[in-house]
Amino acid sequence: MAISVKVMRRPEAGRTSYMRATLKGMSLTFRHMIRPTKVTLEYPEEQPELSPRWRGTHRMEVHADGRPKCVACGLCPTVCPANCIRLVGGEDDQGNRYPIVYEIDEFRCIFCGMCQEVCPVEAIHVGQHFENAEYGRERFVYDLDRLMEQDHPVTLLWDPSDPRSE
Amino acid sequence: MADNGRKAETVTLTIDGQEVTVPRGTSLLHAAESMGTEVPHYCYHPGLSAPAQCRICLVEVEGAPKLQPSCVTMAADGQVVHTDSTAAKRMRQGVLEFYLVNHPLDCPICDMSGECKLQDYVFDEGREQGRGREPKRIFGRDDFGGDVLYYGDRCVMCTRCVRFMDEVARDSRLTVVERGSRAVIDTFFDRGLEGAAFAGNVVDICPVGALVSKDFLHKARAWDLDHTPSICPNCSHGCNIELHTRDNLVQRLKPRENQEVNGHWMCDYGRANYEWMNRPGRLEAPSVGRGSDRRAADWREALELLFGRLSAAEGDVALVGSAGCSNEALAALAALGDEMPGRVAQSVFRSPRAPDEVPLPGFPLLVRRRDLVPNADGAALLGFERAGSDDGEGGLEEVAEYGGVVIVLGDELADQGEDFGANNSLFVYLGTFDSAAAANADFVLPITTFAEEEGSFVNAQGRVQRFQQGLRPPDSARPAWLVLGALVAALRGEETPGSAPEAFARLAAAHPAFEGLTWEAVGDRGAALVAEAVHG
Repeated sequence: MAISVKVMRRPEAGRTSYMRATLKGMSLTFRHMIRPTKVTLEYPEEQPELSPRWRGTHRMEVHADGRPKCVACGLCPTVCPANCIRLVGGEDDQGNRYPIVYEIDEFRCIFCGMCQEVCPVEAIHVGQHFENAEYGRERFVYDLDRLMEQDHPVTLLWDPSDPRSE
Repeated sequence: MADNGRKAETVTLTIDGQEVTVPRGTSLLHAAESMGTEVPHYCYHPGLSAPAQCRICLVEVEGAPKLQPSCVTMAADGQVVHTDSTAAKRMRQGVLEFYLVNHPLDCPICDMSGECKLQDYVFDEGREQGRGREPKRIFGRDDFGGDVLYYGDRCVMCTRCVRFMDEVARDSRLTVVERGSRAVIDTFFDRGLEGAAFAGNVVDICPVGALVSKDFLHKARAWDLDHTPSICPNCSHGCNIELHTRDNLVQRLKPRENQEVNGHWMCDYGRANYEWMNRPGRLEAPSVGRGSDRRAADWREALELLFGRLSAAEGDVALVGSAGCSNEALAALAALGDEMPGRVAQSVFRSPRAPDEVPLPGFPLLVRRRDLVPNADGAALLGFERAGSDDGEGGLEEVAEYGGVVIVLGDELADQGEDFGANNSLFVYLGTFDSAAAANADFVLPITTFAEEEGSFVNAQGRVQRFQQGLRPPDSARPAWLVLGALVAALRGEETPGSAPEAFARLAAAHPAFEGLTWEAVGDRGAALVAEAVHG
């Protein structure tokens, strides 16, 4: 457990010039004056470009007749590492299995995207979206209606033509 | 086989290169099971006949021209069996592919998903990708009546359900109609499973999701359920069951095999009556004082006050036990009566009784008994006398007017009026729910239900059977054996029993019928009581 110590030799006082370092710094400053690199965005008028694998708040896909695509199979609450999905299954009047209660606590969610990956019917998705501000904490538990209302684009976690990245 | 006395009682054979010795007459399937190898099977069920028709338990036996169905091929000396050879595996893969020709693969919406044998076997050994191009035939679902729903598309035609109704329930209500890929299980015209007393078992034995319970439909996933070994509380036969719980609620009851009590089966009446274990609105905290003086107290204060009142109590004692309570609780109540200064004037229990017994013809040991409570026989053994009518009401008139000490264990006051116990010198009520008749109680103490505690029942066969805790009780509810045991121990100057096994040990020491029994000896299979004490 020997610790090697590097001894820095400081120049003696009064025999040091900071001129070289100052010029080096100022040259960078002047370079940016002549050829500026834009790093700020005029948000919200300008929107950032998100990575194709960005994973934001959820969205539930719906059928053409407005029913949720979810069949309440229970795989997303099972796979969810943060345990943030609450699901109660049931049967609708046409005999289809559907979620009576489907809630995602977006505060608890860690946005791993496993719910989307595990979904057998491609119902739940994580979104290409980051503007989630609300006035109250309770609004961050998204219920089924809220999830179905979301209309932001969704993430492609993988290439659909090559789901196993082969 | 049995006719030849010269043959040895056991045979030794080789399965997958491992030598195994089994009793003569054991099937290859069981022989493989005894050494820890599961041979896939659908049509074979240990409680039913073996028609060898599912063709998935085929194994290679050296010397035999073709693969042999292991469920009906008996083990013989010197046999060399391969369950995992290339030929056996190829055959299983082929059979599984045939099963999937018309199977909808709707695992996401199937209630059996997670405990389905087709899912398991295909996952283990099936093809990765299907090769089918033709459309699958579709039957949809059929209501069989009772609690049973049939999804024909998922069926693998093992006919376990048909054979259960024929051989065990002896009430042929199901049959196979049509042939080949059009074959489905069906009921006879308009006569479904409605009213059949044991039909719920077909859901348990269905290896796939073809027969599902309406009550459990879409309620929970199999992998979410916790399984707790317990005893069915709905009649005094005490079928061995499992409580399947999720979110601290009982979701369903399933039979647990015990050949000396219920085989693989349980009745529909027992299976359906579990919602009361989930009932909300329980007694939350101990309370002391009568009428307007009633106030909440903590356990220490309530028990100290009660101990003072009990040791100074005047008059004789009347005990009301509940046949829904464990042996440990009832024995502690009886012991408390004995420790009181006064004489025990009466100790009673009540039990709703069905008009007749409902036997299972193909398994005569299993009978839905008349007593619709789990521990009527235990209460009788522990010195309580049967009172009241066959609907479980009445019989407490004397107790209601009683002038001495009254201790009521369990929810026995639901049918009593508000003036119950107005004349008592001391009235203690230990229950799970408040009741109008408890208005005059000096002490109301919340206790746990059988699903929330450990304990034992005595069934109608005179068999002690243990149950385990499956639910978390409300915050301040305590097991009755603990509450009563603490009072008895305080009156006697002993130590309080710290656990159900300790409470059972005290009960076994005090009651001759339980002599020699220990908690470990009762185990999870139960143990018979000393016979003469039961019948004497």
